[in-house]
Amino acid sequence: MRSFWPIYKRELFAFFVTPLAWVLITVFLLVQGMHFFLLVDHFSTAGQQISDQTPLQAFFGNTVLLYLVLFLLVPPMTMRLFAEERRSGTIESLMTAPVSSLGVVLAKYAAVLTTYVAMWAPTVLYLVILRQTGDIDWNVAASAYLGVLLVGGGYLSIGMLMSAITKSQFLALVLTAMLILALFILGVGEFVTRDGTVMHDICSHVSVWAHMNDFASGVVDSRRLVFYGSLIVLPFFVTVRAVDAWRWG
Amino acid sequence: MISVQHLVKRYGWKVAVDDLSFEVDKGEVVGFLGPNGAGKSTTLRVIAGFLGATSGTVKVAGHDIAKESFEARQKLGYMPEAVPLYPEMRVVEYLSFRAELKRVPRGDRKRAVWDAMGKANVRDVANVVIGHLSKGYRQRVGLADALVGSPPLLVLDEPTAGLDPNQIREVREVIQELGKEHTVLLSTHILSEVEASCSRVVVIAGGKLVAEGSMDEIAKKRRSAGLHMVVRGNLDAALAALRGIEGITKATRDHAARTDGEDVFAVRCSWSKKLDEAAAARATEAAIGALVGAGLFVREASPVKSSLEELFGELTGARAEDASGEAEPDDAEAAS
Repeated sequence: MRSFWPIYKRELFAFFVTPLAWVLITVFLLVQGMHFFLLVDHFSTAGQQISDQTPLQAFFGNTVLLYLVLFLLVPPMTMRLFAEERRSGTIESLMTAPVSSLGVVLAKYAAVLTTYVAMWAPTVLYLVILRQTGDIDWNVAASAYLGVLLVGGGYLSIGMLMSAITKSQFLALVLTAMLILALFILGVGEFVTRDGTVMHDICSHVSVWAHMNDFASGVVDSRRLVFYGSLIVLPFFVTVRAVDAWRWG
Repeated sequence: MISVQHLVKRYGWKVAVDDLSFEVDKGEVVGFLGPNGAGKSTTLRVIAGFLGATSGTVKVAGHDIAKESFEARQKLGYMPEAVPLYPEMRVVEYLSFRAELKRVPRGDRKRAVWDAMGKANVRDVANVVIGHLSKGYRQRVGLADALVGSPPLLVLDEPTAGLDPNQIREVREVIQELGKEHTVLLSTHILSEVEASCSRVVVIAGGKLVAEGSMDEIAKKRRSAGLHMVVRGNLDAALAALRGIEGITKATRDHAARTDGEDVFAVRCSWSKKLDEAAAARATEAAIGALVGAGLFVREASPVKSSLEELFGELTGARAEDASGEAEPDDAEAAS
Protein backbone atom coordinates (compact mmCIF):
# COMPACT_ATOMS: atom_id res chain seq x y z
CA MET A 1 0.00 0.00 0.00
CA ARG A 2 3.02 2.28 0.24
CA SER A 3 2.80 2.73 -3.48
CA PHE A 4 -0.51 4.57 -2.96
CA TRP A 5 0.79 8.08 -2.34
CA PRO A 6 3.25 8.50 -5.18
CA ILE A 7 0.77 7.15 -7.74
CA TYR A 8 -2.10 9.18 -6.27
CA LYS A 9 -0.05 12.38 -6.46
CA ARG A 10 1.16 11.63 -9.97
CA GLU A 11 -2.37 10.92 -11.22
CA LEU A 12 -3.63 14.24 -9.91
CA PHE A 13 -0.62 15.98 -11.42
CA ALA A 14 -1.09 14.25 -14.76
CA PHE A 15 -4.76 15.21 -14.88
CA PHE A 16 -4.39 18.85 -13.90
CA VAL A 17 -1.37 19.45 -16.12
CA THR A 18 -3.43 18.74 -19.24
CA PRO A 19 -5.74 21.32 -20.83
CA LEU A 20 -8.48 18.66 -20.84
CA ALA A 21 -8.88 18.97 -17.07
CA TRP A 22 -9.36 22.72 -17.16
CA VAL A 23 -11.73 22.52 -20.10
CA LEU A 24 -13.81 19.93 -18.26
CA ILE A 25 -13.89 21.93 -15.05
CA THR A 26 -14.75 25.16 -16.86
CA VAL A 27 -17.54 23.58 -18.86
CA PHE A 28 -18.82 21.80 -15.77
CA LEU A 29 -18.98 24.97 -13.70
CA LEU A 30 -20.48 26.97 -16.56
CA VAL A 31 -23.26 24.43 -17.06
CA GLN A 32 -23.90 24.16 -13.33
CA GLY A 33 -23.93 27.94 -12.98
CA MET A 34 -26.46 28.26 -15.80
CA HIS A 35 -28.49 25.45 -14.31
CA PHE A 36 -28.53 27.17 -10.94
CA PHE A 37 -29.36 30.55 -12.43
CA LEU A 38 -32.30 29.20 -14.43
CA LEU A 39 -33.66 27.35 -11.41
CA VAL A 40 -33.47 30.36 -9.12
CA ASP A 41 -35.03 32.51 -11.82
CA HIS A 42 -37.80 29.94 -12.29
CA PHE A 43 -38.52 29.67 -8.56
CA SER A 44 -38.53 33.42 -8.03
CA THR A 45 -41.12 33.99 -10.76
CA ALA A 46 -43.26 30.87 -10.45
CA GLY A 47 -42.66 29.96 -6.83
CA GLN A 48 -46.33 29.78 -5.89
CA GLN A 49 -47.34 26.91 -8.16
CA ILE A 50 -44.57 24.52 -7.21
CA SER A 51 -44.53 24.86 -3.48
CA ASP A 52 -43.69 21.18 -2.91
CA GLN A 53 -40.20 21.71 -4.28
CA THR A 54 -37.16 23.75 -3.37
CA PRO A 55 -34.37 24.99 -5.63
CA LEU A 56 -32.02 22.63 -3.83
CA GLN A 57 -34.15 19.61 -4.72
CA ALA A 58 -34.44 20.73 -8.30
CA PHE A 59 -30.72 21.30 -8.55
CA PHE A 60 -29.84 17.71 -7.60
CA GLY A 61 -32.93 15.85 -8.77
CA ASN A 62 -35.99 16.07 -10.97
CA THR A 63 -34.11 17.50 -13.95
CA VAL A 64 -32.13 15.69 -16.59
CA LEU A 65 -29.30 18.19 -16.34
CA LEU A 66 -27.43 16.42 -13.55
CA TYR A 67 -27.18 13.19 -15.55
CA LEU A 68 -26.29 15.02 -18.71
CA VAL A 69 -23.40 16.63 -16.89
CA LEU A 70 -22.22 13.33 -15.41
CA PHE A 71 -22.62 11.63 -18.78
CA LEU A 72 -20.36 14.21 -20.40
CA LEU A 73 -17.95 14.56 -17.50
CA VAL A 74 -17.12 11.05 -16.28
CA PRO A 75 -15.96 9.30 -19.49
CA PRO A 76 -13.23 11.84 -20.35
CA MET A 77 -12.08 11.81 -16.72
CA THR A 78 -11.55 8.06 -16.54
CA MET A 79 -10.59 7.22 -20.12
CA ARG A 80 -6.85 7.75 -19.71
CA LEU A 81 -6.42 6.04 -16.32
CA PHE A 82 -5.09 2.74 -17.66
CA ALA A 83 -5.57 2.93 -21.42
CA GLU A 84 -2.99 5.68 -21.78
CA GLU A 85 -0.41 3.84 -19.68
CA ARG A 86 -0.89 0.67 -21.68
CA ARG A 87 -0.72 2.43 -25.03
CA SER A 88 2.44 4.35 -24.18
CA GLY A 89 3.99 1.39 -22.34
CA THR A 90 4.53 3.26 -19.07
CA ILE A 91 2.49 0.52 -17.42
CA GLU A 92 5.61 -1.64 -17.83
CA SER A 93 7.81 0.58 -15.68
CA LEU A 94 4.94 1.14 -13.27
CA MET A 95 4.23 -2.54 -12.65
CA THR A 96 7.90 -3.55 -12.45
CA ALA A 97 8.39 -1.19 -9.51
CA PRO A 98 7.60 -2.79 -6.15
CA VAL A 99 3.87 -1.99 -6.25
CA SER A 100 0.73 -4.09 -5.80
CA SER A 101 -2.13 -4.19 -8.29
CA LEU A 102 -4.55 -3.22 -5.53
CA GLY A 103 -2.39 -0.23 -4.57
CA VAL A 104 -2.21 0.98 -8.17
CA VAL A 105 -5.95 0.66 -8.79
CA LEU A 106 -6.82 2.24 -5.44
CA ALA A 107 -4.49 5.18 -6.05
CA LYS A 108 -5.88 5.82 -9.51
CA TYR A 109 -9.47 5.56 -8.34
CA ALA A 110 -8.84 7.82 -5.34
CA ALA A 111 -7.20 10.40 -7.61
CA VAL A 112 -10.09 10.53 -10.06
CA LEU A 113 -12.61 10.62 -7.20
CA THR A 114 -10.71 13.50 -5.61
CA THR A 115 -10.86 15.36 -8.90
CA TYR A 116 -14.58 14.72 -9.09
CA VAL A 117 -15.13 16.06 -5.56
CA ALA A 118 -12.96 19.08 -6.34
CA MET A 119 -15.16 19.83 -9.35
CA TRP A 120 -18.30 19.77 -7.25
CA ALA A 121 -16.81 21.73 -4.37
CA PRO A 122 -17.46 25.22 -5.85
CA THR A 123 -21.18 24.41 -6.12
CA VAL A 124 -21.40 24.68 -2.32
CA LEU A 125 -21.29 28.41 -3.02
CA TYR A 126 -24.80 28.15 -4.51
CA LEU A 127 -26.06 26.98 -1.16
CA VAL A 128 -24.40 29.95 0.48
CA ILE A 129 -26.14 32.20 -2.06
CA LEU A 130 -29.51 30.57 -1.42
CA ARG A 131 -28.91 31.06 2.29
CA GLN A 132 -29.07 34.84 1.68
CA THR A 133 -32.75 34.70 0.83
CA GLY A 134 -34.10 31.70 2.67
CA ASP A 135 -33.42 28.77 4.90
CA ILE A 136 -31.43 25.75 3.88
CA ASP A 137 -31.94 22.32 5.37
CA TRP A 138 -28.32 21.27 5.69
CA ASN A 139 -29.29 17.64 6.25
CA VAL A 140 -30.99 17.60 2.88
CA ALA A 141 -28.00 19.31 1.32
CA ALA A 142 -25.67 16.70 2.83
CA SER A 143 -27.90 13.90 1.59
CA ALA A 144 -27.93 15.43 -1.91
CA TYR A 145 -24.15 15.67 -1.98
CA LEU A 146 -23.92 12.08 -0.72
CA GLY A 147 -26.08 11.12 -3.71
CA VAL A 148 -23.81 13.03 -6.08
CA LEU A 149 -20.77 11.32 -4.57
CA LEU A 150 -22.29 7.83 -4.80
CA VAL A 151 -23.64 8.14 -8.34
CA GLY A 152 -20.39 9.75 -9.53
CA GLY A 153 -18.33 7.18 -7.63
CA GLY A 154 -20.20 4.36 -9.36
CA TYR A 155 -19.80 5.92 -12.79
CA LEU A 156 -16.10 6.59 -12.21
CA SER A 157 -15.59 2.99 -11.15
CA ILE A 158 -17.26 1.77 -14.36
CA GLY A 159 -15.13 4.21 -16.35
CA MET A 160 -11.94 2.94 -14.72
CA LEU A 161 -12.81 -0.65 -15.59
CA MET A 162 -13.48 0.31 -19.21
CA SER A 163 -10.11 2.06 -19.32
CA ALA A 164 -8.45 -1.08 -17.97
CA ILE A 165 -9.92 -3.44 -20.57
CA THR A 166 -8.82 -1.51 -23.65
CA LYS A 167 -5.66 0.18 -24.87
CA SER A 168 -7.63 2.83 -26.71
CA GLN A 169 -8.71 5.89 -24.75
CA PHE A 170 -11.39 6.60 -27.29
CA LEU A 171 -12.89 3.13 -26.95
CA ALA A 172 -12.82 3.50 -23.16
CA LEU A 173 -14.64 6.81 -23.52
CA VAL A 174 -17.32 5.37 -25.78
CA LEU A 175 -17.83 2.22 -23.69
CA THR A 176 -18.13 4.22 -20.47
CA ALA A 177 -20.59 6.66 -21.99
CA MET A 178 -22.67 3.79 -23.38
CA LEU A 179 -22.79 1.97 -20.04
CA ILE A 180 -23.76 5.12 -18.15
CA LEU A 181 -26.46 5.82 -20.71
CA ALA A 182 -27.66 2.20 -20.60
CA LEU A 183 -27.95 2.34 -16.82
CA PHE A 184 -29.93 5.56 -17.06
CA ILE A 185 -32.26 4.25 -19.75
CA LEU A 186 -32.83 1.05 -17.79
CA GLY A 187 -33.85 3.25 -14.87
CA VAL A 188 -36.27 5.20 -17.02
CA GLY A 189 -37.93 1.85 -17.69
CA GLU A 190 -39.55 2.32 -14.30
CA PHE A 191 -41.97 4.76 -15.89
CA VAL A 192 -42.84 2.73 -18.97
CA THR A 193 -43.27 -0.78 -17.51
CA ARG A 194 -46.41 -1.82 -15.70
CA ASP A 195 -46.47 -1.69 -11.93
CA GLY A 196 -45.98 -5.04 -10.22
CA THR A 197 -44.00 -6.75 -12.98
CA VAL A 198 -40.45 -8.02 -12.39
CA MET A 199 -39.14 -5.66 -15.03
CA HIS A 200 -40.63 -2.73 -13.18
CA ASP A 201 -38.97 -3.82 -9.94
CA ILE A 202 -35.59 -4.18 -11.60
CA CYS A 203 -35.89 -0.85 -13.37
CA SER A 204 -36.92 1.02 -10.25
CA HIS A 205 -34.09 -0.60 -8.31
CA VAL A 206 -31.43 0.68 -10.70
CA SER A 207 -33.13 3.97 -11.53
CA VAL A 208 -30.53 6.67 -11.01
CA TRP A 209 -33.24 9.21 -11.65
CA ALA A 210 -35.40 8.00 -8.76
CA HIS A 211 -32.38 7.56 -6.50
CA MET A 212 -31.22 11.12 -7.00
CA ASN A 213 -34.74 12.41 -6.38
CA ASP A 214 -34.68 10.57 -3.06
CA PHE A 215 -31.24 11.85 -2.11
CA ALA A 216 -32.21 15.38 -3.15
CA SER A 217 -35.21 15.33 -0.84
CA GLY A 218 -33.12 14.06 2.06
CA VAL A 219 -34.09 10.39 1.89
CA VAL A 220 -31.09 8.13 2.46
CA ASP A 221 -32.37 4.64 1.77
CA SER A 222 -30.10 1.73 2.77
CA ARG A 223 -31.03 -0.11 -0.46
CA ARG A 224 -29.54 2.80 -2.40
CA LEU A 225 -26.39 2.69 -0.32
CA VAL A 226 -25.99 -1.04 -1.03
CA PHE A 227 -26.69 -0.50 -4.73
CA TYR A 228 -24.08 2.23 -5.14
CA GLY A 229 -21.68 0.41 -2.84
CA SER A 230 -21.83 -2.51 -5.28
CA LEU A 231 -21.65 -0.20 -8.28
CA ILE A 232 -18.35 1.14 -6.92
CA VAL A 233 -16.82 -2.03 -5.47
CA LEU A 234 -17.66 -4.49 -8.22
CA PRO A 235 -15.98 -2.73 -11.18
CA PHE A 236 -13.17 -1.78 -8.81
CA PHE A 237 -12.24 -5.36 -8.05
CA VAL A 238 -12.74 -6.50 -11.61
CA THR A 239 -10.21 -3.78 -12.50
CA VAL A 240 -7.75 -5.20 -9.96
CA ARG A 241 -8.19 -8.63 -11.55
CA ALA A 242 -7.77 -7.15 -15.03
CA VAL A 243 -4.49 -5.53 -13.99
CA ASP A 244 -3.31 -8.89 -12.63
CA ALA A 245 -4.41 -10.59 -15.82
CA TRP A 246 -2.10 -8.50 -18.06
CA ARG A 247 0.82 -10.47 -16.68
CA TRP A 248 -0.55 -13.51 -18.50
CA GLY A 249 -1.35 -11.74 -21.77
CA MET B 1 22.19 -12.76 -9.19
CA ILE B 2 19.74 -13.99 -11.80
CA SER B 3 18.87 -17.64 -12.15
CA VAL B 4 16.55 -18.69 -14.94
CA GLN B 5 15.55 -22.37 -14.87
CA HIS B 6 13.56 -24.06 -17.64
CA LEU B 7 11.65 -20.90 -18.41
CA VAL B 8 8.73 -21.33 -20.80
CA LYS B 9 6.46 -18.49 -21.88
CA ARG B 10 3.55 -19.01 -24.22
CA TYR B 11 1.24 -16.40 -25.68
CA GLY B 12 -1.82 -18.44 -26.52
CA TRP B 13 -0.43 -21.08 -28.90
CA LYS B 14 2.72 -19.19 -29.75
CA VAL B 15 5.78 -20.24 -27.79
CA ALA B 16 7.93 -17.17 -27.20
CA VAL B 17 10.46 -18.70 -24.80
CA ASP B 18 11.08 -22.44 -24.86
CA ASP B 19 12.85 -24.13 -21.93
CA LEU B 20 15.48 -21.46 -21.42
CA SER B 21 18.01 -21.76 -18.58
CA PHE B 22 20.92 -19.48 -17.79
CA GLU B 23 22.59 -17.74 -14.88
CA VAL B 24 24.04 -14.30 -14.30
CA ASP B 25 26.57 -14.05 -11.48
CA LYS B 26 27.21 -11.08 -9.26
CA GLY B 27 29.40 -8.39 -10.84
CA GLU B 28 29.01 -9.65 -14.41
CA VAL B 29 27.93 -7.63 -17.42
CA VAL B 30 26.07 -10.12 -19.54
CA GLY B 31 24.88 -9.52 -23.09
CA PHE B 32 21.64 -11.15 -24.06
CA LEU B 33 21.86 -11.58 -27.77
CA GLY B 34 19.43 -12.73 -30.40
CA PRO B 35 17.69 -11.63 -33.58
CA ASN B 36 14.46 -9.65 -33.39
CA GLY B 37 11.61 -11.86 -32.24
CA ALA B 38 13.91 -14.38 -30.53
CA GLY B 39 12.20 -13.91 -27.18
CA LYS B 40 14.70 -11.50 -25.61
CA SER B 41 12.19 -8.90 -24.47
CA THR B 42 9.79 -11.56 -23.23
CA THR B 43 12.53 -13.15 -21.13
CA LEU B 44 13.57 -9.81 -19.67
CA ARG B 45 9.96 -8.92 -18.92
CA VAL B 46 9.56 -12.16 -16.99
CA ILE B 47 12.77 -11.45 -15.07
CA ALA B 48 11.55 -7.93 -14.29
CA GLY B 49 8.24 -9.30 -13.03
CA PHE B 50 6.05 -7.68 -15.68
CA LEU B 51 4.99 -10.98 -17.25
CA GLY B 52 4.29 -14.27 -15.54
CA ALA B 53 6.12 -17.40 -16.68
CA THR B 54 4.05 -20.23 -18.17
CA SER B 55 6.39 -22.64 -16.38
CA GLY B 56 9.89 -22.65 -14.95
CA THR B 57 11.39 -20.53 -12.20
CA VAL B 58 13.18 -17.20 -12.23
CA LYS B 59 15.11 -16.03 -9.21
CA VAL B 60 16.44 -12.53 -8.75
CA ALA B 61 18.98 -12.09 -5.94
CA GLY B 62 17.69 -15.33 -4.40
CA HIS B 63 14.02 -14.28 -4.49
CA ASP B 64 11.59 -16.21 -6.65
CA ILE B 65 9.97 -13.61 -8.91
CA ALA B 66 6.58 -15.34 -8.63
CA LYS B 67 6.54 -15.97 -4.88
CA GLU B 68 8.55 -13.07 -3.50
CA SER B 69 7.79 -10.58 -6.21
CA PHE B 70 8.20 -7.46 -4.04
CA GLU B 71 11.63 -8.38 -2.73
CA ALA B 72 12.79 -9.36 -6.21
CA ARG B 73 11.49 -6.17 -7.82
CA GLN B 74 13.21 -4.04 -5.19
CA LYS B 75 16.58 -5.57 -6.07
CA LEU B 76 16.19 -4.82 -9.74
CA GLY B 77 16.29 -1.75 -11.96
CA TYR B 78 14.56 -2.38 -15.27
CA MET B 79 14.64 -0.33 -18.43
CA PRO B 80 11.94 -1.47 -20.88
CA GLU B 81 12.65 -1.59 -24.60
CA ALA B 82 10.57 1.43 -25.64
CA VAL B 83 11.80 3.50 -22.64
CA PRO B 84 8.29 4.53 -21.63
CA LEU B 85 8.26 7.82 -19.70
CA TYR B 86 5.53 10.25 -18.71
CA PRO B 87 5.95 13.05 -21.25
CA GLU B 88 4.22 15.70 -19.13
CA MET B 89 6.67 15.49 -16.22
CA ARG B 90 10.03 17.16 -15.74
CA VAL B 91 13.01 14.84 -15.50
CA VAL B 92 13.64 15.52 -11.84
CA GLU B 93 9.93 15.19 -10.99
CA TYR B 94 9.73 11.89 -12.81
CA LEU B 95 12.80 10.47 -11.12
CA SER B 96 11.56 11.63 -7.69
CA PHE B 97 8.28 9.87 -8.40
CA ARG B 98 10.15 6.71 -9.36
CA ALA B 99 12.33 6.94 -6.24
CA GLU B 100 9.25 7.17 -4.04
CA LEU B 101 7.66 4.27 -5.91
CA LYS B 102 10.80 2.20 -5.39
CA ARG B 103 10.60 2.94 -1.66
CA VAL B 104 13.73 5.00 -1.34
CA PRO B 105 13.37 6.52 2.17
CA ARG B 106 12.19 10.14 2.12
CA GLY B 107 15.47 11.54 3.47
CA ASP B 108 17.59 9.79 0.82
CA ARG B 109 15.36 10.52 -2.14
CA LYS B 110 16.93 13.77 -3.32
CA ARG B 111 20.39 12.29 -3.09
CA ALA B 112 19.29 9.09 -4.91
CA VAL B 113 17.79 11.11 -7.77
CA TRP B 114 20.86 13.34 -7.98
CA ASP B 115 23.21 10.33 -8.05
CA ALA B 116 21.17 8.55 -10.71
CA MET B 117 21.11 11.69 -12.87
CA GLY B 118 24.87 11.97 -12.45
CA LYS B 119 25.55 8.37 -13.46
CA ALA B 120 23.25 8.56 -16.48
CA ASN B 121 24.59 11.99 -17.38
CA VAL B 122 21.28 13.85 -17.48
CA ARG B 123 21.83 16.51 -14.81
CA ASP B 124 21.84 19.25 -17.44
CA VAL B 125 18.22 18.49 -18.38
CA ALA B 126 16.90 17.98 -14.84
CA ASN B 127 14.24 20.66 -15.24
CA VAL B 128 13.25 19.95 -18.83
CA VAL B 129 9.83 18.43 -19.56
CA ILE B 130 10.43 14.85 -20.74
CA GLY B 131 8.23 15.30 -23.82
CA HIS B 132 10.68 17.91 -25.13
CA LEU B 133 13.79 15.73 -24.81
CA SER B 134 15.64 14.16 -27.73
CA LYS B 135 15.70 10.40 -28.14
CA GLY B 136 19.21 10.13 -26.76
CA TYR B 137 18.32 12.03 -23.60
CA ARG B 138 15.11 10.04 -23.14
CA GLN B 139 17.13 6.85 -23.34
CA ARG B 140 19.45 8.13 -20.63
CA VAL B 141 16.54 9.28 -18.48
CA GLY B 142 15.25 5.71 -18.77
CA LEU B 143 18.66 4.55 -17.62
CA ALA B 144 18.56 6.98 -14.70
CA ASP B 145 15.11 5.59 -13.86
CA ALA B 146 16.56 2.06 -13.67
CA LEU B 147 19.40 3.39 -11.51
CA VAL B 148 17.34 5.28 -8.94
CA GLY B 149 17.85 3.75 -5.53
CA SER B 150 20.97 2.00 -6.83
CA PRO B 151 19.57 -1.55 -7.21
CA PRO B 152 22.30 -4.24 -7.29
CA LEU B 153 20.94 -5.61 -10.57
CA LEU B 154 20.18 -3.75 -13.79
CA VAL B 155 18.14 -5.27 -16.61
CA LEU B 156 18.31 -3.15 -19.76
CA ASP B 157 16.28 -4.02 -22.84
CA GLU B 158 18.07 -2.75 -25.95
CA PRO B 159 19.56 0.33 -24.28
CA THR B 160 21.01 1.68 -27.53
CA ALA B 161 18.08 1.00 -29.89
CA GLY B 162 17.33 3.88 -32.22
CA LEU B 163 20.30 6.03 -31.25
CA ASP B 164 22.85 7.63 -33.55
CA PRO B 165 26.49 6.42 -33.36
CA ASN B 166 27.59 9.19 -30.99
CA GLN B 167 24.73 8.52 -28.63
CA ILE B 168 25.41 4.78 -28.80
CA ARG B 169 28.99 5.44 -27.73
CA GLU B 170 27.82 7.62 -24.86
CA VAL B 171 25.35 5.03 -23.59
CA ARG B 172 28.00 2.31 -23.90
CA GLU B 173 30.40 4.33 -21.83
CA VAL B 174 27.73 4.80 -19.18
CA ILE B 175 27.03 1.05 -19.15
CA GLN B 176 30.71 0.20 -18.84
CA GLU B 177 30.93 2.55 -15.89
CA LEU B 178 27.84 0.94 -14.33
CA GLY B 179 29.36 -2.52 -14.72
CA LYS B 180 31.85 -1.66 -12.01
CA GLU B 181 29.16 -1.36 -9.33
CA HIS B 182 26.16 -3.26 -10.64
CA THR B 183 25.39 -6.60 -12.16
CA VAL B 184 24.03 -5.87 -15.63
CA LEU B 185 21.98 -7.94 -18.04
CA LEU B 186 21.44 -6.11 -21.32
CA SER B 187 19.76 -7.33 -24.44
CA THR B 188 20.70 -6.38 -27.97
CA HIS B 189 20.64 -7.68 -31.50
CA ILE B 190 23.88 -5.91 -32.34
CA LEU B 191 26.99 -7.99 -31.87
CA SER B 192 29.52 -5.19 -31.63
CA GLU B 193 27.51 -3.88 -28.73
CA VAL B 194 28.26 -7.04 -26.79
CA GLU B 195 31.93 -6.97 -27.78
CA ALA B 196 32.20 -3.43 -26.48
CA SER B 197 30.60 -3.79 -23.11
CA CYS B 198 29.97 -7.38 -21.99
CA SER B 199 32.08 -9.92 -20.14
CA ARG B 200 29.82 -12.79 -21.10
CA VAL B 201 27.14 -13.43 -23.66
CA VAL B 202 23.98 -15.53 -23.82
CA VAL B 203 22.69 -16.11 -27.34
CA ILE B 204 19.12 -17.20 -27.98
CA ALA B 205 17.11 -17.84 -31.12
CA GLY B 206 13.54 -18.99 -31.46
CA GLY B 207 13.17 -18.88 -27.69
CA LYS B 208 15.98 -21.39 -27.14
CA LEU B 209 19.52 -21.07 -25.89
CA VAL B 210 22.02 -21.53 -28.74
CA ALA B 211 25.31 -20.42 -27.20
CA GLU B 212 26.68 -19.14 -23.94
CA GLY B 213 30.09 -18.08 -22.73
CA SER B 214 32.70 -15.35 -22.76
CA MET B 215 33.24 -13.37 -25.94
CA ASP B 216 36.47 -15.31 -26.58
CA GLU B 217 34.75 -18.66 -26.23
CA ILE B 218 32.09 -17.60 -28.66
CA ALA B 219 34.70 -16.26 -31.09
CA LYS B 220 36.39 -19.67 -31.10
CA LYS B 221 33.29 -21.12 -32.68
CA ARG B 222 34.03 -19.14 -35.79
CA ARG B 223 35.02 -21.61 -38.48
CA SER B 224 37.23 -20.93 -41.44
CA ALA B 225 35.04 -19.82 -44.30
CA GLY B 226 37.57 -19.94 -47.11
CA LEU B 227 41.07 -19.25 -48.33
CA HIS B 228 42.80 -16.10 -49.43
CA MET B 229 45.78 -16.55 -51.77
CA VAL B 230 48.15 -14.36 -53.70
CA VAL B 231 49.32 -16.06 -56.87
CA ARG B 232 51.67 -15.19 -59.74
CA GLY B 233 50.92 -16.56 -63.18
CA ASN B 234 47.87 -16.99 -65.39
CA LEU B 235 44.55 -16.08 -63.73
CA ASP B 236 42.30 -18.37 -65.77
CA ALA B 237 44.57 -21.36 -65.24
CA ALA B 238 44.59 -20.71 -61.50
CA LEU B 239 40.79 -20.44 -61.24
CA ALA B 240 40.31 -23.58 -63.36
CA ALA B 241 42.74 -25.54 -61.14
CA LEU B 242 40.99 -24.38 -57.96
CA ARG B 243 37.47 -25.13 -59.12
CA GLY B 244 38.27 -28.78 -59.52
CA ILE B 245 39.05 -29.27 -55.82
CA GLU B 246 36.58 -30.97 -53.52
CA GLY B 247 35.14 -28.64 -50.90
CA ILE B 248 35.59 -25.44 -52.85
CA THR B 249 32.30 -24.02 -54.06
CA LYS B 250 33.55 -20.76 -55.45
CA ALA B 251 36.89 -19.37 -56.60
CA THR B 252 37.07 -15.78 -57.77
CA ARG B 253 39.61 -13.04 -58.23
CA ASP B 254 39.70 -10.77 -55.22
CA HIS B 255 39.72 -7.33 -56.81
CA ALA B 256 39.75 -5.59 -53.46
CA ALA B 257 43.18 -6.92 -52.47
CA ARG B 258 46.03 -4.79 -53.81
CA THR B 259 48.80 -6.62 -55.61
CA ASP B 260 51.97 -5.49 -57.32
CA GLY B 261 52.95 -6.56 -60.81
CA GLU B 262 50.73 -7.41 -63.74
CA ASP B 263 50.66 -11.17 -63.41
CA VAL B 264 50.20 -11.13 -59.65
CA PHE B 265 46.64 -11.39 -58.39
CA ALA B 266 44.64 -12.35 -55.30
CA VAL B 267 42.17 -15.22 -55.29
CA ARG B 268 39.44 -15.96 -52.83
CA CYS B 269 38.03 -19.47 -52.38
CA SER B 270 34.91 -20.30 -50.38
CA TRP B 271 34.46 -23.62 -48.61
CA SER B 272 31.23 -25.47 -48.88
CA LYS B 273 29.16 -25.16 -45.68
CA LYS B 274 29.64 -28.77 -44.60
CA LEU B 275 33.42 -28.55 -44.38
CA ASP B 276 34.83 -29.02 -40.85
CA GLU B 277 38.22 -27.76 -39.66
CA ALA B 278 40.18 -30.87 -40.68
CA ALA B 279 38.59 -31.05 -44.12
CA ALA B 280 39.26 -27.34 -44.61
CA ALA B 281 42.92 -27.90 -43.81
CA ARG B 282 43.08 -30.74 -46.37
CA ALA B 283 41.34 -28.59 -48.96
CA THR B 284 43.94 -25.86 -48.31
CA GLU B 285 46.75 -28.33 -48.98
CA ALA B 286 45.01 -29.55 -52.12
CA ALA B 287 44.49 -25.99 -53.39
CA ILE B 288 48.14 -25.05 -52.99
CA GLY B 289 49.19 -28.35 -54.56
CA ALA B 290 46.89 -27.82 -57.54
CA LEU B 291 48.21 -24.31 -58.20
CA VAL B 292 51.82 -25.41 -57.99
CA GLY B 293 50.98 -28.40 -60.19
CA ALA B 294 49.50 -26.04 -62.79
CA GLY B 295 52.80 -24.15 -62.95
CA LEU B 296 51.76 -21.16 -60.89
CA PHE B 297 53.59 -19.57 -57.96
CA VAL B 298 51.81 -19.21 -54.63
CA ARG B 299 53.05 -16.20 -52.68
CA GLU B 300 50.54 -16.14 -49.82
CA ALA B 301 47.82 -18.40 -48.40
CA SER B 302 45.75 -17.45 -45.37
CA PRO B 303 42.48 -18.76 -43.97
CA VAL B 304 39.50 -16.44 -44.03
CA LYS B 305 37.62 -16.63 -40.73
CA SER B 306 33.92 -15.89 -40.73
CA SER B 307 33.14 -12.60 -39.03
CA LEU B 308 31.35 -12.50 -35.71
CA GLU B 309 28.30 -11.29 -37.56
CA GLU B 310 28.42 -14.37 -39.78
CA LEU B 311 28.89 -16.56 -36.73
CA PHE B 312 25.88 -14.92 -35.15
CA GLY B 313 23.90 -15.60 -38.30
CA GLU B 314 25.01 -19.23 -38.28
CA LEU B 315 24.16 -19.71 -34.61
CA THR B 316 20.74 -18.16 -34.78
CA GLY B 317 19.88 -19.22 -38.33
CA ALA B 318 20.87 -22.85 -37.75
CA ARG B 319 18.41 -22.97 -34.91
CA ALA B 320 15.56 -22.00 -37.18
CA GLU B 321 16.53 -24.79 -39.62
CA ASP B 322 16.58 -27.29 -36.75
CA ALA B 323 13.12 -26.23 -35.74
CA SER B 324 11.71 -26.74 -39.22
CA GLY B 325 13.53 -30.06 -39.47
CA GLU B 326 11.95 -31.23 -36.24
CA ALA B 327 8.51 -30.26 -37.38
CA GLU B 328 8.45 -32.64 -40.34
CA PRO B 329 8.55 -36.02 -38.54
CA ASP B 330 5.76 -34.78 -36.30
CA ASP B 331 3.61 -34.06 -39.34
CA ALA B 332 4.41 -37.49 -40.76
CA GLU B 333 3.35 -39.13 -37.50
CA ALA B 334 0.16 -37.20 -37.48
CA ALA B 335 -0.59 -38.30 -41.04
CA SER B 336 0.01 -41.98 -40.32
